[in-house]
Amino acid sequence: MDTPIVPEAVAEASIAVPLRPPGLWRQGWYRFRRNRGGMLGLGLVALVVLVALLCPFVAPFAPNDQSAMLRGAARKAPDWVHLLGTDRNGYDVLTRVLYGASTALAVGLGAMAVASVIGVIIGGIAGYAGGLTDELLMRFAEFFMVIPVFVVILAVVRLFGIVVVGTWLESIPNLNLMTIIVLLGCFEWPPIARMARAEFLRLKHAEFVEAAICIGTKKRDILLRHILPNALPSLIVLVALGIGGAILAETMVSFLGFGDPKAVSWGQQLHFNYEALKVAPWAVLSPGAAIFVTVLGFNLLADGLTDAFNPRLRR
Amino acid sequence: MLSTLASAADPTPMAAPKPLIEVQDLKVHFFTRDGVVRAVDGVDYGVNPGETLGIVGESGSGKTVSSLAMLRLVPPPARTVGGRILFEGEDLLTRTPKQMAALRGRRIAMIFQNPATSLNPIYSIGAQLSEILVWHEKASRRQAEERVAELLNLVGITDPLTRLRQFPHELSGGMKQRVGIARALLCNPALVLADEPTTALDVTIQAQILELLADLQARFHMSMVLVTHDMGVVARMANRITVMYAGRVCETADAATIFSAPQHPYTRALLESMPRIDQSYSRGARQKLPTIAGRPPNLLNPPAGCRFHDRCPEAIADCRRILPVETAIAPGHTVSCIRRGSPGIAA
Amino acid sequence: MGTARYIARRLIFSACLILGVSVILFAMINAIGNPIEILLAERPGMTDEVIESVSRYYGLDGSVTDRYFTWLWAILRFDFGTSIIYNQPVSEMLVTYGLETLKIQIPAILIALVVSVLISVMAATRQYSRLDFGVIAGAMLGHSLPGFFIGILLILVFSYWLGILPSYGAYSTRNMLMNSTLIDGLWHMVLPVGMLVFFNTATLTLLMRSSLVEVLRQDFITAARASGLPERRVVFGHALRNAFIPVLTYLGILFGVMLGTAPVTETVFTWPGLGALYIMAIQQLDYPLIMGETMIITFMLVGATLLTDIAYVAIDPRIRLA
Repeated sequence: MDTPIVPEAVAEASIAVPLRPPGLWRQGWYRFRRNRGGMLGLGLVALVVLVALLCPFVAPFAPNDQSAMLRGAARKAPDWVHLLGTDRNGYDVLTRVLYGASTALAVGLGAMAVASVIGVIIGGIAGYAGGLTDELLMRFAEFFMVIPVFVVILAVVRLFGIVVVGTWLESIPNLNLMTIIVLLGCFEWPPIARMARAEFLRLKHAEFVEAAICIGTKKRDILLRHILPNALPSLIVLVALGIGGAILAETMVSFLGFGDPKAVSWGQQLHFNYEALKVAPWAVLSPGAAIFVTVLGFNLLADGLTDAFNPRLRR
Repeated sequence: MLSTLASAADPTPMAAPKPLIEVQDLKVHFFTRDGVVRAVDGVDYGVNPGETLGIVGESGSGKTVSSLAMLRLVPPPARTVGGRILFEGEDLLTRTPKQMAALRGRRIAMIFQNPATSLNPIYSIGAQLSEILVWHEKASRRQAEERVAELLNLVGITDPLTRLRQFPHELSGGMKQRVGIARALLCNPALVLADEPTTALDVTIQAQILELLADLQARFHMSMVLVTHDMGVVARMANRITVMYAGRVCETADAATIFSAPQHPYTRALLESMPRIDQSYSRGARQKLPTIAGRPPNLLNPPAGCRFHDRCPEAIADCRRILPVETAIAPGHTVSCIRRGSPGIAA
Repeated sequence: MGTARYIARRLIFSACLILGVSVILFAMINAIGNPIEILLAERPGMTDEVIESVSRYYGLDGSVTDRYFTWLWAILRFDFGTSIIYNQPVSEMLVTYGLETLKIQIPAILIALVVSVLISVMAATRQYSRLDFGVIAGAMLGHSLPGFFIGILLILVFSYWLGILPSYGAYSTRNMLMNSTLIDGLWHMVLPVGMLVFFNTATLTLLMRSSLVEVLRQDFITAARASGLPERRVVFGHALRNAFIPVLTYLGILFGVMLGTAPVTETVFTWPGLGALYIMAIQQLDYPLIMGETMIITFMLVGATLLTDIAYVAIDPRIRLA
C-alpha cells in the first residue's frame, strides 16, 4: 500500500476503468455530479440565468412602472397584485428583483471577461516566457493586489461621472454601469494572472507539450491548443468565484449610492429603499435575498468545481 | 467462522510461546458514500515476543489498515467493526481511549512509511521527540532531551545535540527515517509496527535502515510487525510471514517455508514475479518476468468465493462459490485455499 | 540575523509598493480629469480668480509631476492638506475617524478568530459527522450573505422588532445608557461588531475547517497519536498551528481591507468612522480628503501584507529567509 488509505483512494480504486480513459472535463463532470453542494450551486446559477433571460415574460409589471405611486399604493405590503409588495418609488418589488438578475449577470460575466482576458494574457506571458519578463509582470500584479479596489472604484465612478458630462461618452447607454464593470475587471485580474502563470509554467514542461514542440508545432498552436485548454479548469474555478464577487461589489457600490441610476439593479433597490427599512422591509429584504441566492450559487459552484478538478485539494 | 476454524486441525503447534499480540477475525470497513469497502475482512495473525512478523501484500490488500487498527487509529470513514486484538492477553478493542493512549508510543509504537510527512514540519526534532517522553514518563524537559540525544546517537545520527535544534526539512530522507525510528523506540516499546519503513527511501539507504532495525530489535528484544510489499525485505527481516490479499490472509508460515514451500497460489505467484539475479529478462530472452494477470478486486463488491479466484491459475468452479477459511496444514503453517484442503463457507 | 535582514528587505519592498500605488492612484485621478475642474464642477459661479486662488490653496497649480512630488513630500510629513468641506487638517480627521472604525473592526476580527477556531476544531475532529456537515453548510451560507445584508437583518430584528439595540450611531445623542459613556458606547457597538463577527467568522471557519481537515489526515498527526499524545495536544499543539498557515494570508487580508470595507458597514449603521467619512468626501468631492483616505487605506493593506509575511516566518520554519 503506497499511501495510507483515504476514502478517495478507496472509491477511486473501485471505479471501473473504461477502455478509453475519459478526458479532463468528463472526469471533472463525473466528480462534480457527486458533489451535492456543487450541484445545488449549478441549480441556483441556472435559476438566475433563466430568470435573467425570461424576466420580460414572467415579470408581472414593466420595470419602470411607477403607477402604484399615483394610486397612492407605494410602500404597500405584499398582496396578490404585488406579490413582494411595492417600494417607496411605487415600483413593483418582484418585477425589479427579476429584472435585476440580468444586470447582476451582466456585471459578473462582463467584469470577469475583462479580468480573464487581462489575467490570462499577463499570467500566460509571465509563465511561458519566464525570466525577467515573469519577474516584472508579477511585481506589476503585486501592485494591483495592494490597491484598495473598492474605495478606488467608488472614487473613480464618482469622478468619472462628472468628467463625462457634456461629452460624447454621455450618450453611451448605462455608461455608469459599464464603468463599474470595466473597473472591476481591471482590478480583479491579479489572482487569475497568478493562476494562469502557475498553470503555464507547469504545462510548459508537460510531456505532451514537449512532444508537440518536438514535432514542430507552431508556438501559437502550442499556447492556444495545448496549454490553454489544459489550464482552463483551474482558471474556471477562479472565474466562478470572481463572478459572485463582482456581483457583490457592484451591489455594494450601488448600495452606497454610486451605482447607475438608470440600471435596474439589486444594489439600487437597496439604496433607494434602505431609508424606508422600518416601514417597507420587503423592498429591502427581497433584493437582499436575491443577491444572497446568486452569490451563494456561484460560491457553491466554484466550490464544486474545485473539488471536481483538484480532488486532492479538498475533502 | 471461528467455529469452522476450531473444527479443523488445531492451528497452533503444541510448544508455541504465548503471542505478544494476537489479531483475531479483524474487520475494518470503510463506510463511503458508495457503500461499505471491506478493506480488512476477517484477518488473523499473531506475533510472538522478540519475533518479526512480515505482512506482505500489494496495495489495497489491507495490510496498513490492519496495523493501524492495532493502535485503534484507523482513519474515518473507516471503522473497526469486528474481531479481537489481544495484546498481552487483553483485548485492545475494549480499552477506553485513555487506556489506549497510554499504551501508544509506550508499549506499542509505530514507524511510518514516509519520513518526509510523518514528522511535524513546524517543530524541531528535539521538541517533538522530547514531548513524547515528557508526556509518558513525566520526565523533565532536560532529562527528555538528554534521552532523545542518546537515542538519536543510537540510531546512527551524528552530532545529535545539533540535530535536536534542527527542523525536519533540514534533514535528509534517511536521516528523517532514523528520527522516526528513534521516536518509536523512545519508551522502549514491546511491539513496533513498521509500515513500509524503507519504501520511500533510496535503495542504498534502505539497506542501512533495515540493518539498523534488525540490530535494534535484537538489542531491545522487541517484537516487530513489518508491513511491506517487498518480498526481498521480508526475506531479510522476518521470522514469520503473513501474506495478505484483498483484505484477507492467504497464508502464514515461517519465512523459510514461505520461500521454500509456498502453498497458496497467490504466494507462489508473488514469489515467481520476483526478478531473480540469475535470470535474464531482457527483450528476446527466453523467459519473461512472470506477472499476475488482472488487478486486485473491488472491495466495495468483493467477488463471491475466494477473493483471488479470477486471477488464480489453479481455480476450479468451487473457488467462485466457497470462501476458504485459514487452516493449519503443518505446525505453524496455515493456508486458506480449498485446493490445499482448507474448509470454506459457501456463498 | 537572517530574520532582521529579511524584515528589512520586506520593509523596503513595502515602501516601494506604497510608492507605486501612490503613483498609480495619482495618475488615475489626474487621468480622469483636472482635479480643480472636478472640485468646482458642482459649485457653479466661480470666477477665474477664485479658481486660481483655490488651486494655489490646495496645491493644485503647476504641472502633474510637480504636484505629485509636492503631495508626496507633504504626505511623508503626515500632512494631507486641509479638508474642503470640514476645513480641518485631514491628518487629524483621519486619526479621529480612524479610531472609531478600529473600535468596531479590531474586536470583530479578534472575536471572529477565536470563535472560528473553536468551531473549526469541533467540526474537523468530527469529519463526516452531522455537526461537521452543519458547520460547512452554515459557514457557506454565512459566507455568501453580503455583509450589509446581515447588518440590515440585525437592525430589523434587534432594533425594529425587538427594540433592544440601537440601529445607528456610536453614541446616544440625548440620554446615555445608564448615564455612562462607556456602557452607551459598548451598547452601540453590539450590532456593527455583530455583523462583522458574523461575516468574518463564516469565512474564517470555511478556510480553517478545510485546512484543519487536510492537516488532520497528514501522517505526522497519525504519528503524534501513535506516540500516545492526548488528543487535545494533537489537535491544538500539532494540527492547529499547521492548519493556521494557509489561514494567515486571509487573516492578513482581513486586517488589510478592514478600512476598505468600512464604507459599507458604516453606511448601514450610520457609524462615524473613516468609511462614512470617505463616502462624504466622494459625494462632496473633497479632493484632499479622498487622496488622504485612499493612501491611508493602502498603507493599512501594505502594512497588513508585511505583517503577514513576518508572521509566516515566525510560524513556519520551512520558509527560507532568502
